[in-house]
Amino acid sequence: MNAYLLSLLVFSPLLGILMVALMPKNEERTIKQFGFFGTLPPLFLSFFLCSQHYSGVALSSFNIKLDWIRFGNLEMYDPKLFTVNFELGLDGLSLIFILLTTIISSLAAMASIYIKQGWKGYYLLFLILEIGMLGVFTAENLILFFIFFEMTLIPAFFLIGRWGFLEREKASYHFLIYNGIGSAILLVAILILFARTGTTNIAALTQMMTMGGVSLFAPISSSMKYGLCLAFVIAFAIKLPVFPFHSWMVRVHAEAPPAIVMIHAGVLLKIGAYGIIRFGMGIFPEQYKSLAFGIVLMGVISFLYGALLALVQTDFKLVLAYSSISHMGIVMMGLGALNEAGLQGAIFQVISHGLIAAMLFFLVGALTERSGTVMLPKLGGLAKSMPVFSGFMLACGLASLGLPGMSGFISEFMVFLGLFKSQPVLAAISVIGLVLTAVYILRAVMLMTFGKNDSLVEKEKLDLEGWEFIPALVLLGLILLIGVFPNLLGGPLQGTIEAMMLALGGR
Amino acid sequence: MMENAWLIPIFPLVAFLVLLLVGGRLRERGAYIGIIFTLASFMLSLLTLMERFSAPTYKKTLEWLTLGGTQLTAGFEINQLNALMLVIVSLVSLLVQIYSLGYMKGEGRFSTFYAYLGFFTFAMLGLVMAPNLVQLYFFWELVGVGSFLLIGFYFYKQEAKAAAKKAFIMTRIGDVGLLIGIILLFWETGSFEYGEIFQAVQSGVISDGSLTLIAILIFVGAVGKSGQFPLHTWLPDAMEGPTPVSALIHAATMVAAGVYLVATMFPLFLASEAAMQAVAITGGFTAIFAASIASVQKDVKRVLAYSTISQLGFMMLALGTAGYVAGVFHLMTHAFFKALLFLAAGSVIHAIHTQDIERMGGLWARLKWTGPLFLVGTLAISGFPLLSGFFSKDEILMAAWTNGNYFLFILAVITSFLTAFYMFRLFFMIFAGESRRQAKQVKESPAIMLLPMLVLGVLAVISGYIQTPWFGTFLGEWLVEGNETVLGAAHSEGPAWVMILAVSVALAGILLAYMKYARTKLPREGLVKENSTLYRVLENKYYMDEIYYFTIVQMIKGISLFLSYMERFIIGGLISTVTGSIEGMGKIGSKLQSGQVQQYGMIAFLGLAVLLVIFALTGGYLR
Repeated sequence: MNAYLLSLLVFSPLLGILMVALMPKNEERTIKQFGFFGTLPPLFLSFFLCSQHYSGVALSSFNIKLDWIRFGNLEMYDPKLFTVNFELGLDGLSLIFILLTTIISSLAAMASIYIKQGWKGYYLLFLILEIGMLGVFTAENLILFFIFFEMTLIPAFFLIGRWGFLEREKASYHFLIYNGIGSAILLVAILILFARTGTTNIAALTQMMTMGGVSLFAPISSSMKYGLCLAFVIAFAIKLPVFPFHSWMVRVHAEAPPAIVMIHAGVLLKIGAYGIIRFGMGIFPEQYKSLAFGIVLMGVISFLYGALLALVQTDFKLVLAYSSISHMGIVMMGLGALNEAGLQGAIFQVISHGLIAAMLFFLVGALTERSGTVMLPKLGGLAKSMPVFSGFMLACGLASLGLPGMSGFISEFMVFLGLFKSQPVLAAISVIGLVLTAVYILRAVMLMTFGKNDSLVEKEKLDLEGWEFIPALVLLGLILLIGVFPNLLGGPLQGTIEAMMLALGGR
Repeated sequence: MMENAWLIPIFPLVAFLVLLLVGGRLRERGAYIGIIFTLASFMLSLLTLMERFSAPTYKKTLEWLTLGGTQLTAGFEINQLNALMLVIVSLVSLLVQIYSLGYMKGEGRFSTFYAYLGFFTFAMLGLVMAPNLVQLYFFWELVGVGSFLLIGFYFYKQEAKAAAKKAFIMTRIGDVGLLIGIILLFWETGSFEYGEIFQAVQSGVISDGSLTLIAILIFVGAVGKSGQFPLHTWLPDAMEGPTPVSALIHAATMVAAGVYLVATMFPLFLASEAAMQAVAITGGFTAIFAASIASVQKDVKRVLAYSTISQLGFMMLALGTAGYVAGVFHLMTHAFFKALLFLAAGSVIHAIHTQDIERMGGLWARLKWTGPLFLVGTLAISGFPLLSGFFSKDEILMAAWTNGNYFLFILAVITSFLTAFYMFRLFFMIFAGESRRQAKQVKESPAIMLLPMLVLGVLAVISGYIQTPWFGTFLGEWLVEGNETVLGAAHSEGPAWVMILAVSVALAGILLAYMKYARTKLPREGLVKENSTLYRVLENKYYMDEIYYFTIVQMIKGISLFLSYMERFIIGGLISTVTGSIEGMGKIGSKLQSGQVQQYGMIAFLGLAVLLVIFALTGGYLR
């Protein structure tokens, strides 16, 4: 049973796809319900996995490995060479990412109620996207990872381009080109590795690259390792994104439908961080170490650049977009710190930003539904007409600026703790960003909620109601939970982090 | 009792949550929830303090965050300073909440107000119980949020909005310094726990340079929170909040957190001569700087705000000159008399609906209770003999004198004079002279507001007697008990003329104010003319806000705008190049698909030719 659980998890959205596909396309209500129910099986399965983990079952017992594709016939040397298995696996890190994916997917499916047309296609693509995301975080080899990775791109492309705001097509085009470039770099790196070593299994590659196991055909020279490591880091840095590869993501944030941005900012961007940890840091620890300074530098620049630009935006979605760049800068800073505090902080930041960004974009969606705009100059005084909404918005803003008691504080604290140890000068420069973050977030949130109410005429019912409390409360609850009891999240990560640190050679 | 002390901050937290969830339905009754829970906190704090008189320090911690091999803990500690602070905070909070029942009457968001007060009280109590620096920082930021919410309580007012934002950001600047200090200290000592840090400091493993750096960074946090120069500008603006809030947060408790921080980290500061100097000079300068501004302000709450800044400077001066007991003592007495002054000022504002002291006057006869209570507060802060402020200020002057820092001593004496002057200027302008309003309109505040003022009035008179040169130094002895070597003497001995000097300058200040503002014997424009440059500089608070606006704010805005142009043109250009070239390739590709067989044939032929040439030149397969 255990062995099939992961495959069941990854492909369980198929059930929803089937149900949605069988519906006539005008049944708005039923399609929305089925679309939402389609995200529940993976949600419950991931909870089940999590409970298994806490009750002491080893995560590796869920791993599955089946023969899949074989290239060439080299059985005289080693039958395992040039085979690509269908192998899914789980460790603490992927478990956390899977939980993030399933939770945010369900909430985003809920928030998709705001979608006005083309429901059938929307939910079909949405559920395919979820399969892709789940696959990315469980894939045990590079080819499988790549397939799932591409599986996230195409639905996302259509979801942005068809259901977004005015300039949606341009945004989705940019999304495709940039991610396409990232994928191309990734594919080249993967193929080189495969051709030279005959395997794409991550664990096997890690073993080979670090222990110096001899490969059959072509030994990989040290400079090639640098190249490959750099290729992985850049491919995923585009995805994350960091300065200067960020502008595609700004467009997506501004133009995609809010429910999709919940997924996009909440999960898809995080694949970048996951990739850097798994492949850059995991497979090439030695080379990664020497790139660390550059990684931190990219992080610091993104952190400050995003914050400074967020300061002058008039569209709230753009404030959030630049804020995401800034927060992903913190991830890079943590990843480049090369110590436990930094790495753990980076992972915390990934999860924390996922939750916070999802919540902020849920609120953006709710506000757009009511006011038709999130342009800051047109808003004001929402605390009067929408007190509950404003309360959530303020709480979420405070979480985003790293208020203690919320998840953002834990991650920022750990990242800076780590960074001051390894790169004190860059760390000292970057702390300005902490002040800037407070400035731009308060500016944006207070422009919306404080002041006089000029824009919205007091309509009958404006405030959040009914189902809308569920995403807001669940996300805020998780943000607070991590902020107050960080070890709940830190616990499952310990094993992965220790292994990484061991490979990197000390703290 | 001490093992249950963790409940002390939990009570107001529960009040906050309850009010947040069901407050809308409770309306004004919500206030009683806040009051009852805070009362519980106060009782428990009092019992804890009683027990702490006889029992040793109690500490309890649990694991909170695992970081590789390091365990960060969360818990609480009850030592002398904490126990004292718990009582001060919960008492002032309780009194302010009772007072607000009257002051905020008719406010539509009554329960929200009490919810915020509950949240603030929770954070402040949590702050003073923290047993390690991370937890301290945790609550340190939360009190900032409480302050932010309450300053911005009238969210629809433009000034309140700006003030709330400013308060948060200015203190955040300080907080970043504190955060760096904490992190550096961790890498130097390997711990966030006070005890372990002090051990490491005393064993001398930290180099002098980094010790000074860390102490100063931590002090930057205190500068932000306690409104010390140059991060003080948010505190006067914070007066946009409701007056009870000013009494609680911006007079008695939160702004004193900076002083509390320096007192808590005292062994660290003591180890660095330079850091101590920095604390003392910043404090001394802030004291006289703010007092000079307070002398010309015309808004009753702003005068009190600058007075608070000045008094906090006094406390910093005391700590910086090794007067641990003096600083903490003044923190306590100041909490009582300044809260009293704010509540009394609120009572005046409640009665005549203006904050402009030039539009007040002759209220002594109308406000039969508020007037005398205001006078008690004014006397106490001026250092009038036998009231609480007299003893604590005396202690500070003694500390500065015995420390041998004569320049700062003189600064403190001048500030004492200014304090007496501006406080009595305020008093006389409100209560003396002709009544400028029709008598009927002015009514004394209800008993629910007067009662808390009365309690504070009594404390402002008597609380000084726990530490006097004549009747014994109970407070000092208890505070330094077991730590005499580090925290210093329980009482600074000094020449008797210091006290006489302090009394004389205070009396001189009162007399000058009396002459100018009550008797009008001296013209009001006597010393500094209203249109002179000096007056204008003082009235505009040394143009600090303008300086910040035209330098830092404009600079950041400029950088942001520059970057957004760069984003649009340079990065945008880069993007168009990338997308454009891909588009271009697509176009070329589609042009090649012309459907003309001759063309296809020609390309195929050319390709073959090229391959043959390569083949001929290399003489075989590519190697």
